[in-house]
This record gives sequence, structure tokens and C-alpha cells, in this order.
Amino acid sequence: MAEEFRLRVEGVSKRFPGVWALRDVSFDVLAGEVHGLVGENGAGKSTLMGIASGALAPDEGAVSVNGVDVSADPDLVRARGLAIVRQEPALMPDLSVAENIYLGVSAERRPRPAQMNAWAQNLLRQWDPEIAIDAGQRVDLMNAQQRFIIEIVKALAGEPTVLVLDEPTEHMMSEDVARLFDRIRALTRKGVGVVYISHRIREVRSIADRVTVLREGQSQGSHAMESLTEKDIVALIVGKAVDHEFPKKEVQRTIQQPRLQVTGLSGEGFSDVSLSIQPGEILGLAGMDGQGKREFVAGLVGLTTSRGNVTLDGVTIGTGNTAQTAAQGIQYLSGSRHRDGMFGDLSVRENFSYRSLLSVARGGIVSREAESAAAGAAVRSYDIKTPGVETRIGSLSGGNQQKVLIAGILASDPKVVIIDEPTQGVDIGARVFIYQAIAEAARSGISFIIVSSDAGELAGICHRVAVFSSGHVVSELGGDEVSESAIISAVLTSGSARKQQDGAARLGDQLVKWFAGNWAPLVTVTGIILALGFYAGISNEFYLTPRSIGGMLTLVAALAMVACGQQVLMLIGGIDLSVGPLMGLTSVVMSFFFVKDMPVETQLVGWLLLLAVAVMVGVLNWALVDPLGMHPMMATLATFMLLQSVSLVLRPTPMGMIDFDFLDTVNTRWAFLPVAALLALVLALVMDALLFRSGLGIKLRGFGSRADAARVAGINPRMMRLLAYVGCSTLSVAAGVLMIGQVGIGDAMSGNDYTLASIAAAVVGGASLFGGRGSFVGAFLGALLITQVNVVTTFLNLTDGWRSVLLGVMIVVAVAAYSRARKMVVAA
Amino acid sequence: MKVRKNLPAVGEFGWIWIAFVLLVGACAVLAPSAIGLASVYSMLPFAAVLVLLAVGQTLVVQQRGLDMSVAAIVTLAGLLVAKFTAMTGSPLAGVVLTCGVCGAAGILNGLLVARIGISPIVATLATGAMFFGVARILSGGSAMAISPSLQALSQARLLGVPVLFYVAVVLVVSVSLILRMTIVGRRFIAVGSNIATARAQGTRTALYQVGSYGVAGVCYAIAGIALAGFIGYATPTAGSSYLLPSIAAVVVGGTPFTGGKGSVVATAGAALFMTLLDQMVLSLGAGPAMQLFAQAIAIIIAVSIRRLPEVAKLMGGKKRLT
Repeated sequence: MAEEFRLRVEGVSKRFPGVWALRDVSFDVLAGEVHGLVGENGAGKSTLMGIASGALAPDEGAVSVNGVDVSADPDLVRARGLAIVRQEPALMPDLSVAENIYLGVSAERRPRPAQMNAWAQNLLRQWDPEIAIDAGQRVDLMNAQQRFIIEIVKALAGEPTVLVLDEPTEHMMSEDVARLFDRIRALTRKGVGVVYISHRIREVRSIADRVTVLREGQSQGSHAMESLTEKDIVALIVGKAVDHEFPKKEVQRTIQQPRLQVTGLSGEGFSDVSLSIQPGEILGLAGMDGQGKREFVAGLVGLTTSRGNVTLDGVTIGTGNTAQTAAQGIQYLSGSRHRDGMFGDLSVRENFSYRSLLSVARGGIVSREAESAAAGAAVRSYDIKTPGVETRIGSLSGGNQQKVLIAGILASDPKVVIIDEPTQGVDIGARVFIYQAIAEAARSGISFIIVSSDAGELAGICHRVAVFSSGHVVSELGGDEVSESAIISAVLTSGSARKQQDGAARLGDQLVKWFAGNWAPLVTVTGIILALGFYAGISNEFYLTPRSIGGMLTLVAALAMVACGQQVLMLIGGIDLSVGPLMGLTSVVMSFFFVKDMPVETQLVGWLLLLAVAVMVGVLNWALVDPLGMHPMMATLATFMLLQSVSLVLRPTPMGMIDFDFLDTVNTRWAFLPVAALLALVLALVMDALLFRSGLGIKLRGFGSRADAARVAGINPRMMRLLAYVGCSTLSVAAGVLMIGQVGIGDAMSGNDYTLASIAAAVVGGASLFGGRGSFVGAFLGALLITQVNVVTTFLNLTDGWRSVLLGVMIVVAVAAYSRARKMVVAA
Repeated sequence: MKVRKNLPAVGEFGWIWIAFVLLVGACAVLAPSAIGLASVYSMLPFAAVLVLLAVGQTLVVQQRGLDMSVAAIVTLAGLLVAKFTAMTGSPLAGVVLTCGVCGAAGILNGLLVARIGISPIVATLATGAMFFGVARILSGGSAMAISPSLQALSQARLLGVPVLFYVAVVLVVSVSLILRMTIVGRRFIAVGSNIATARAQGTRTALYQVGSYGVAGVCYAIAGIALAGFIGYATPTAGSSYLLPSIAAVVVGGTPFTGGKGSVVATAGAALFMTLLDQMVLSLGAGPAMQLFAQAIAIIIAVSIRRLPEVAKLMGGKKRLT
């Protein structure tokens, strides 16, 4: 068989503002080959894979999969058989494992939804016959290792012809690493091409046939694996000395009293860490991600809780929260600027002076002149390229942002500065500047802790480097040992496989897990409904009569229907305030078409008009939210007022008695049970079946759970939103029709109370305003509970006031329980 | 490009004042009675109440929250001041105690949001029901009289302008100055802008989150007292109609729901704008239906105008906004 290219990347270049991420890189993967891709952080591996997957468009060059040019077309890439296993799995946390795998494969490979769990479990067993993952469980209950295995199983389920594995062993235990290698070998025997990206040179050597080394965006060539030793690879990764980038290191002075002394500090992800830093010393922290260096820093500055002793200049200090440590002069700068490093919406001035407000303020009042002067001076002395100090920092380049932040820290007169990835996303010019600023500040006596995954950077600026593995400091390099190759080899040779986490589940955990589940709201709400009913039943003999139960259920019907509508939107993280006035408008429209002695044709027009109103309102809300980009609250508030005004124009005062025969139809009872309520229940059950058992329902929940992961799975966000808004307004109109049975007249205001009640019913039933959660039966039960509270309090002779208080307390308690539990489960 | 200091560009919070001037102009031409003396006198006290409420709502929105309990707290405040004044015999003590209790109600909201992690809409929806319930229990369902001295104060005029208007101005100016000029204000904005960054840089974020709901509670209390004092009595439904207008004023004023930056001055301008808009529609002979319609259009325009460049791009150059 002639050599067949599975993946071919030709002459690809990619430029980000200020930096070449890739420069004229070519490499290819043959059928049946494992091709290793190695290089340091920032060498361009992720950018290259982003381009190969079609997520990024190259500035120059082309990508082909199985001989077809697929440049910058992710759908085509997938269709041609390329699958990527990402370091951060693109899973939707509120969906089950099976549902994630289901959405992860192309449509023609999907089983019937009813067989989904068995299908997915079978795929999981192919990975490991004794696998502990239950395909029916939600992904948010899985730990990092399990998520990664799900991601791999998902990729394999699509039977790819090219498989890209990005740092696959980072989250794996040793037996899974062996399993992965077996699977890779089995795949290559079938002719699949595999790209294996890893830091771990030994692993790459043991699995790859060829290896391509990237350094600073440029390929160092593709080599046959057997032609290179481990040393050769390290040499290719590191390249020739780049010392000129770094300032000259000061010779460390003799031991003084340490500036910072950490003794036996333990916390989540690190344990028993002891370190000390001299004044003016720069200490580097090295180690793989997840091995404890960042976790240690988070504990030290008070972002997470830790135990142990920390002294600053000989005095023990508390590390309970960041306010405590910052007040002591320990300043921390996060490695992810956008998430928690800067205030992207605020100005250069505000970002610069945030840590040093006290120095430009008197009596708590900030002097604008002093502040602007200080910020202006910093902009000049750090050569920050910005139109002015009032420019939004988010609009600057990464290097200039970082300069502002570091200048801000140094202006706060710190004692210890902790910087995570000081030059991530920073161009080379700014990088040199930042190194110089750090070295200069160190000379003035400030101590630094630098966390970095770039060994060259650590070697260039640090006096000493501590290497983390499995949460401990496993070695410390000082003096001449601080070199790039020594750091890389210390990191690579430290134990790599993760420790098995002990999975013994305690009863408390079980309870929390249950409360975080889909059934908890249903069972809880049903329990409260029954308990209230029982209490009312023994307190008042008239409660448990067909008449009173029937009356209550009559009230439930409309609320349950509109709560289901609200639930549709909450599934995608939206909210609709306009449902109440829409119900009012429904009653108004009906009052023109369903009055006494109207011919059937007129009624038919009425029905069509109601349907048109439902669709139009849904589309209007969607148009305001999606293309126009309004916040759902604002958009539906505007619709609220618009609908109300239309209704009031049509019926300034309640008018237009509905035909009694029609009302009787709406209020029909089966035995003592109102048919409308039964209809609402059946509808809720049917919609739940669709939501959990149909492709569309799973997509809707997946989109609400995590929009970016849903997009990776090919779900169209715009369609999902349109569906949800139109669905919600249609159910609201249906609720308005059921409501007419009580109202009996065209009344513009008659639905208004339903807006807040529908939100309350949905959230009590388990919906989350963050999306992805809840069920229609839950919404129905929520509506039933609210009505039950109203009815029962009447039977117990409680006043409206107590009823309202009781309702509020119940909502708080129920929602607090769900949201606490969901948070705790995800954190675990 | 440098913006000259003596000719500031229309910032995101400047639009509302241009709109307000335009609206006054439109009134002068179309409905002169809307800006006549009698009309302004009847309008200002209610505008002042809305301003007071909307200032509180703005603070909460700046913390990425939303306060649905505003109507309930306003109602509760009117009843509490009547009750406390009767109990203590001193209107001053009544006002202070009412502000304290309503501040505590706000703090409860803040704790549910910041500590328990309930989303702001749901938390304040639930507490709103609780506060309404308490208001009903307190009042027994009927109106309560406000002490004559508080009534006199709420209805008084100084230099021809209602005292309540001065109260609103003082509150707006002082909140605005605190937010702009003090360290507390700067931290408040930072927490709203990016809570994770604020925490990483050593700010006690929960303090600011909970505090904003607490201060909002006090703003609502002052509004509730002013409203009850002006009308002369407190009812268990007095505040019901104020929820949507308070949110609308924030939106029209331009404070974004994404938190951080905001302007209580712009919110106050929007509250005046919306009140005058109502008045104009009434003067033109239209009823509440048209008032609502005008408000809805105002909201949509207010939001769209700030997104004009993007929207224009989206619609391929067509800039029609209605």
C-alpha cells in the first residue's frame, strides 16, 4: 500500500497581535502511524491543533484530512474523520455521560435515544471491561480523570481516521495510560493516524513512530523516533541558549532572616509544603499542571483554605482570605488575566491603582490628580502602549495589559509578589521588559515567587526553583543547577502518574449527591405537597373532599402550563417576564372571538389568531435577545409593557363575556378532576419524555448546560434560542386559554400575577437560572405546591400575610438546598 | 485620539440627558400642559420616589444582581414607619428604625445571593413574597395613618420645590460622589466588574455584595417613607406598582446588567425621563396603554442606541430602531 496521508499540514503560519504563534510549519501523519508532537508551553502546539481541527483559520498554508482540503471548516474536518481529545474535555455537565457521547458522534452514528444508555455503556466497557463510570449518571458527578476518559470514549465512538490526543495522560492513572496505549496500537493497526501531543518525552518515545518538535512557533523538523535519544529531543525543545532575553542575575547574598517562611502548609491539591524566601530572592515554582504548584499558591494567598504556618519577616500571619494576605504586603497576580487577573472593563488607571489606592487617598477619598499622575508615570516608565490612562485595559495587547498589572503591584509597596505565568500571552518585547522590572524590584528587596510552565523563563530569572509533584516539593534547584535542562529533567523525571483518589462515599456525600440530582426536586416538592395536605386534612375536615381538591386542581392548570413555558426558557438559561401579560392578551383576544352566538368560523379565526400571537411574541422576544443582543430581562420587560399596552388598547376595562358553553368546555371535569389540570399533567409528561428521550430535547438541555461545548457538538445556538422563546410563548397562550375558565372575560391585567408565580413554580420544581436543569413535571409540581400553599392556608384560617411568608420561605429553602448541593457536587 | 476636557463626548451615561432635553422640547411643542407648573408639582414627588428606588436598584445591578423585592420593601417601609412612630412617639425614631429594618431586609437578600448562592432574581422574588406577607400581617390588611409631622415634611416645599425632590437629589449626589471618589466606591465597582479579580487582589467581595443590597434596602425605606408621607397613609399595596419602573429606570439610564460600571445620576435622569414621558402621554389625551407602549419603546431604544454600531452592522446598514 502506498503511503497515505491521514492529516497533512503544509506551510501553516498564524500571527496573533504582537507574536507569531506559528511560522511556516509543515507536518503530516500517515495511516497507521503515531506522530508525536512535542514542545514547551507556548511553542505553538495548541495553535497548530486548533488550525488542524478547523477552529482557527491559518494566515497562510493549508490543512487536509484524508486528501481533502479542510482549512478552517470544523464541520468538514469532523465529517472527514478527524477527532480531537482536548486537554479540557468539551462535555456538558448537566447531561448524562451517555447523552454527551450521543451528541459527540455524527447524527448517523447515533442510536435510538431509548437504547442510548446501553449503547454508551457498551462503548465505555470497550475501554475498560470493569469501568466504574455509569453511562446514566450526570457528567458533573465525574472527576477529572473520568471526564477525560469519557472524552476519549466519545472521540473513539465516532471511529475517527485521524485521532488527536492533547496531553492525554495529564489526568490519567497508570493503568489507564497502559489502556490508552493498547487502544492506540489497536487503532493504528486498522490504519488510523494518531497525533500524540505531550510534555512527557518518555511516553512519546514509547508510543510514537515519528516526532515533530516545535519551538517558538517553528518546526524543528519531523524525525523518526529511533533516530533520537531523550537528550536529543530535549535539546531540540530547548534550542540554543537565549540568555540575552534575561537580565543578569544578582548573586544571592548570605542567609538573612527569611522574608517569607512557609512551614508544613497543606490544602486542596498540595500537602506539607515548606519553603522559605530571602528578601530580594526570586523563587521559581515548576512542575506539571495539577501537581500542586498553583494549588499551593492559591492556598498561600488565601484563595483556598489551607493549614500550616506562614511567617512574614518572622511574624506569623493568617492566610484565611486574600484581604488578610494582601494587607500584609503579599500580592498575587493570576495566570489567567481575563478570568481573575484584571478588570477588563475598567481603565488603565483603575487597574493600575487598585492595589495602591491607600497611597493616593486621604481619609478614604481618592485624589484623582495623584492617581492619574501615578498611572501616567507608570505608563511612561514601563513604556506601556496605550492611547491614555483612561483607555479600557481590555483593549490593550496582552503585553501592555501585563505591564499595567505588574506596575500596579510594584506601586503598592509589596513585600512578597507572587506571579503566575508572568509572560503568558505577552510578546517578546514586553517580556524582556517584565523580566527587567522583576529583577530590578528584587534588587530593591522585594521577594518574588514565580510560577511558570516555561522552564527557560524560570532558569532565566530565578535564583532558586522548587519542583512540585503530587502536591509536594520534590526537589529544589539552586545556584548553578538552575538551568533550563535541569528544570525540564527534574519535572519530567518526577513521578508522573496520579494517585488514585479514594472514592469511599460517605452517607453525607450520598445525600448531597441525591439533592443535586434530577429527582430531588420532584420528590421534595411532592413530599411537601403531601405533608401540607395531610396537615390540612387533619385540621379541617373540608379539605380532603372532592370539591376542594377539584377546586384546587382547577387553579393549578393555568399556572402549571405557564410554568412549563418558563421552564423551556430556563433550560437554556433565559427568563421570560412577558408571560403574564401574554396570558392577559390571550384572554382579551378570546373575548372578541369566543362570545355568545359566534359562528364556528369566527372561533376558528380566533384559534388561528391566538397561534399567530404566540409565534409572533416568541419571535419578538427572540429577536430582541438574539440578533439585537438585549439581556433577556430587559427584552422581556419591554415585551411585557408592549403586550400590556396592546391589551389595554383592545380592552381598556374588562369586557366581553366569554360564551358560557365555551367556559363549560374549558372547565369540564372527569369525575371530580378538572380535565384542564389533567391535560397540563399529560403535557408535562410528554414534554419530559421529549426532553430526556429525544435528540432535540437532549440538544436543548446540552445547549443550556454549556453553550461552547454544545457548539463543538454542532448544535446551532440561534435555533435553540428561537425554539425556546417560541415554545415558551406558545405554552403561555395555552395557559391563557386555560385561565379563561376562571376569568371568563377579556381582562388585560388578568395574567400579570402569573409572571412571578411561573418563575417561582419552575425554580421550586428544580429549574436553574443558569440553564440545563429542571423538568416539566417539576414545573407542574412547583405550580401544584404554590397552589397547595394558597389553598391550605385558607383551610387553616391563616391570613394572606402568613401565606405569602410561607411561600417565600419555602422557595428560599428549596432553592438553597438544590443550589448548595449542586455546588458541592461540582466542587468535589 | 484625545478627548478634549472642555468638550466631553456623550458617554454611555450621557445619552439620557440628551433624551430628557429632547423630551422637554417635545412637550413644549406637543403637550405644553405636561411641563406646566401644576403638572410639574404633581409629578415631582412621585418622580422623587422613583429616583430613590431606582438608585437602590442601580447599586444592586452594578453587583450583577437584580432586586425583585423592591416593591415589597417600599410597602413594608410605609407601614413600619407608621407603626414605629406610633410605638415610640417620635417620627425620627420611626424613620431610623424603619431604615434599619429595611436595611436588614436588604442584607438578607445579599446573604442569600452571596453566601448561599441563590440567583438574585429567585432570592429576591422569594424574600419579596416574605416581606409582602409581613407587610400584610403588620397592617392587618388596612391602611395606617402617617404622623402629621412626617406628612407635613413630605408634602412641604422649599423655595417652591417639593422637599422630597431635595431628598432625592441629596441621595443621588452623595451616592454618586461616594462611588466616584472614595476607596469604598472604587472597590464596589471593581467587585461588580470582576468579582474573581477583586478577590484575587485582596478585596472582601462578600462585604460589598451584601452591602449593596443593604444600602439598596435603606434607599427603598426612604422611598417608602416619602411615598407614605406624601399620600398621608400607608397601605399594604402602596409599592406594588414600582417594581418594573425601578428596573426600567436602570435600563434606560444605561447601567448594564453585566455589572461594574453604572451611574446613579443617569438612573435618576431616566427616572425623571420616564415620569415626564408618562405625563406627556397623559397630556396628549392617551391612557395607560399608550404610557406602557411609550415606556417599552423607550427601553428598546435606550438599549439599542448604545449598541448602534453593532446593530447597524448586523442589519446591513439599516438603522431603523422601531
